[in-house]
Amino acid sequence: MKLVYPWLRDFVRVTEDVETVARELGLRGFEVASVEQGAHPVIDFEITANRPDCLSHLGLAREAAAIWGLPLQMPGMAMPAPGPAEDLDVEIADTDLCPRYCVQVFEVKNGPSPAFIRERLEAAGIRAISAVVDVTNYVMLELGQPMHAFDLDRIEGRRLVIRRAVPGEPLRTLDGLERALEADMLVIADASRALAVGGVMGGKDSETGPATTRIALESAYFQPASIRRTSKGLGLKTEASSRFERGTDVNAPPAGIARAAALLERIGAGRPLGSLIDRYPSPTRPLQIRLRAARIARVLGQEVPPADVPRILAPLGFLVAEGRDADEPGWLITVPTFRVDVLREVDLVEEVARHFGFDRLPSTFPVLSAPQAPLDPRILRDRLLRQLLTTAGFSESMTFAFIEREAAMPFTEPGGQPPAIANPLSEKFAVLRPSLLPGLIDSCAHNRRRGRKDVQLFETGSRYTSAGEGRAAAFCWLGSAVPPHWSGSGRLVDFFDMKGALELVCAGFGVHDPHFAAVDRAYLAPGRAAEVFAGDVRLGVLGQLAPVLAEARGLPAGEEIYVAELDTELLGRAAAGDTLRAESLPRFPAIVRDVSVLVDEALPAAAVRGTIRAAAPSTLASVVEFDRYQGKGIPDGRISLSLRLTFRSAERTMTDDEAQDAMDRIVAALAREHAAEQR
Amino acid sequence: MTDPARDIDALRTQFAEELARASGEPALRAVRDRYLARKGGLVSALLRGLGAAPAEERPRLGQLVNALKQEIETTLDARASEAAGARPPTGAVDVTLPGRVPGTGHRHPLTLLRERIEMIFSRMGFLVIEGPELEDDYHNFEALNMPPEHPARDMQDTLYLAAPVRSLAGSAATLLRTHTSGMQIRHMETHPPPVRLIAPGRVYRRDNLDLTHTPMFTQVEGLVVGDHVTLADLKGTLFTFVRELFGEDRQVRFRPSFFPYTEPSAEVDISCGACGGTGIDCSMCKRTGWLEILGSGMVHPAVFEAVGYDPERYTGFAFGMGIERVALLKWGVEDIRLFYENDFRFLEQFPL
Repeated sequence: MKLVYPWLRDFVRVTEDVETVARELGLRGFEVASVEQGAHPVIDFEITANRPDCLSHLGLAREAAAIWGLPLQMPGMAMPAPGPAEDLDVEIADTDLCPRYCVQVFEVKNGPSPAFIRERLEAAGIRAISAVVDVTNYVMLELGQPMHAFDLDRIEGRRLVIRRAVPGEPLRTLDGLERALEADMLVIADASRALAVGGVMGGKDSETGPATTRIALESAYFQPASIRRTSKGLGLKTEASSRFERGTDVNAPPAGIARAAALLERIGAGRPLGSLIDRYPSPTRPLQIRLRAARIARVLGQEVPPADVPRILAPLGFLVAEGRDADEPGWLITVPTFRVDVLREVDLVEEVARHFGFDRLPSTFPVLSAPQAPLDPRILRDRLLRQLLTTAGFSESMTFAFIEREAAMPFTEPGGQPPAIANPLSEKFAVLRPSLLPGLIDSCAHNRRRGRKDVQLFETGSRYTSAGEGRAAAFCWLGSAVPPHWSGSGRLVDFFDMKGALELVCAGFGVHDPHFAAVDRAYLAPGRAAEVFAGDVRLGVLGQLAPVLAEARGLPAGEEIYVAELDTELLGRAAAGDTLRAESLPRFPAIVRDVSVLVDEALPAAAVRGTIRAAAPSTLASVVEFDRYQGKGIPDGRISLSLRLTFRSAERTMTDDEAQDAMDRIVAALAREHAAEQR
Repeated sequence: MTDPARDIDALRTQFAEELARASGEPALRAVRDRYLARKGGLVSALLRGLGAAPAEERPRLGQLVNALKQEIETTLDARASEAAGARPPTGAVDVTLPGRVPGTGHRHPLTLLRERIEMIFSRMGFLVIEGPELEDDYHNFEALNMPPEHPARDMQDTLYLAAPVRSLAGSAATLLRTHTSGMQIRHMETHPPPVRLIAPGRVYRRDNLDLTHTPMFTQVEGLVVGDHVTLADLKGTLFTFVRELFGEDRQVRFRPSFFPYTEPSAEVDISCGACGGTGIDCSMCKRTGWLEILGSGMVHPAVFEAVGYDPERYTGFAFGMGIERVALLKWGVEDIRLFYENDFRFLEQFPL
């Protein structure tokens, strides 16, 4: 809303300069977008949605009157004399959408308007057109009441009907577009057709022009939600619709006519014919609200002197009466109909606070009456995840939760579809991500394109599967396994680097023996993919990204890129929790034995380990692979697997014979179960 | 004809210069060879050249050359033992070579800031909660005093789902949350007052990408409800927070505004860091000297009614801020999109 400074002074004789006016209004809730100096200094305010009354000079003038304690002067009004109206039949068919409709017939001479009107309109950002149109716009900017002039001679049947449109009803609007209206849109029609979209835009056919000699001047109140729907539906936002949709003053339409009459007369462009036609079947009763002095202090944390309340509220247009309840000092406030935002006591408290001054409030601290509950465990879980993954060398990334469908499909369950966004910004943001990996992969490609060879990224966040919204952590690794160093021996990342990172995360959550099983996934390279379990719970998946997918996202197909993704809700639940009990250190020495066996190359190491555990006595403390060899000296299709076994008894020092006995049984079991030969 | 005495002096000068340039044992050995080698050494050559001098001069000149030879030997020996003393012990490493830095990753700058904010409020006794990113219309709008068709819904252009999806809270969600307020509604629905919490998380608006907008961003909202919570408490809490985050030297301003879910509503501005609050020729604050940082207000009674709190008995305040905006203002990041490109050249500028 562009406030023209001299125009404001028609209403209140402020003596402060433009900058001061802008700053003071700014501190009362009217944010200043800009101040332009010049012949017509202008302050551009961003008016919040709750204050449509301040989309006018009058509205802002009331605020200025309250700030500086100045009287408000109303502009010249010339209400047409009561008596018979001109021959025009006006009927509101749909009063739910149009509770009040005023119309006045004028005889006009529609030339250009004089300089003072044109200059003010242009300073306020509105193009001057002709006397009639300029006067309607002038009144709107002055009082906040949008108006519309029909060429009376283009109204068929001397009849105006305010009714819902017939579905598909055609209308050529003032912008020249042919529109097909919908059933819920309100039109102003004559005996045979729609003339205007009520409160939004007039029609071309009934537009006023230089040749117009008689007009029907409309000044109405339309139901805000209806205007909003229509304006959205037509994709048409006008000065009028943006006022009506937020709520104009239901009692302003006659004033609009009176002001327009005064202006038309003053510039010699017209005079009223007959009296005002005012259709207002159920007049709105003004709202009365009790305002308690104690409530003001309770909400603000500051007592406001009782005399300040009428001093603030009266200039804003509220009627202030002393309350009659002796036990509860306060006031009875009548709310003017232009203050559509004031509905309950607290709204009045805000009015008082705004003009009392937020800067005069003390700074205090709320009383803490109970100990605080602990952090949401999910916040702690995500912090731990970030700690573990950065320790493992991954940097944190953040990507959008919506991605393009093509990128999502490989990560969507077979036969499923990712949840779609009804009104996406573009095809690139069409669906919710089923996995965090597509975004991560794109971030890796972004870094590669900018010359970064080694990329380790992770993200924690939401993902969306057929089960709905979930939480996940994903990580991605390409390039070197260890940071490059002059001492050489660099190595590219492989499956076991990624698995190790995943094991670190599991260990960090106290999931000490996750197990891994090979799996097939469309987005992972065959034979290079595994699922990770904590007990029976499937935590996630890891593996080499399918080369064809890597290539599709701009990464080299020939390079091994490893990815992993975990369900963090499940990981959090699988976590050991706060049950830790420290064990005492072993009192007796351990015996360590190594064994090397030849087994089939396809035999999983976990199977060998399992057989060893099953065959070993309870003194077996640990078993771990320390070498795997295939090649010279080993028959085709077999491998040499070396394991280190540690035995220890809690009661006594074990003997070599006991260890040997255990080893003999283990080797026999391996031979039996896996046809393993000891080397 | 040359003057042998002069030649001797010239060689002495030349030696002194070369010695000054020689550093380290190999270089000293090369100087010794050049001057003192039996065959081809410069001193022997000088001695041999004396044959051309008059016979009566020779003994004196011979003495001078020998003195020079002696002098060179002594000097070189001294320098050699000096160099030997400076030699590193066996097995010594070159401490100037780069070390092996453990490959530790960086946390995202938005995480750094978010955790910092969580820490400040935790210290003030605030609970930190998290919740669903998909929401239903009720928890995102209606319970917050924004019924359908409410004009304030325009302030938050919403991304809707083509079909309902089960949210993390188990409800049938129809939209991507436009703020984290839904979590606060859910908390109040299940917990009686007093309430003192912050709700950080990602939120979504239908905004095109530009220097200051992304369709997804990170918010921290806060809520305090109790028997005697006031607008002055809100002011005190937020001023403490803003000064702790931005520094004691910043001015803070509290200004009326509008949000449908608070009444009265206020915005918090901090004095501009780029111009020191003067606004003079400052593009950062558009010459106002102030930067908007937070929206806030006293919880609207309609919100309390929606969650079953008695609005006569309880009062409360709520606030919200975008972490990206705080980051832009705090670190001078010029393009908000950098937070979502994950370019290492950006990420690595922030501490681990």
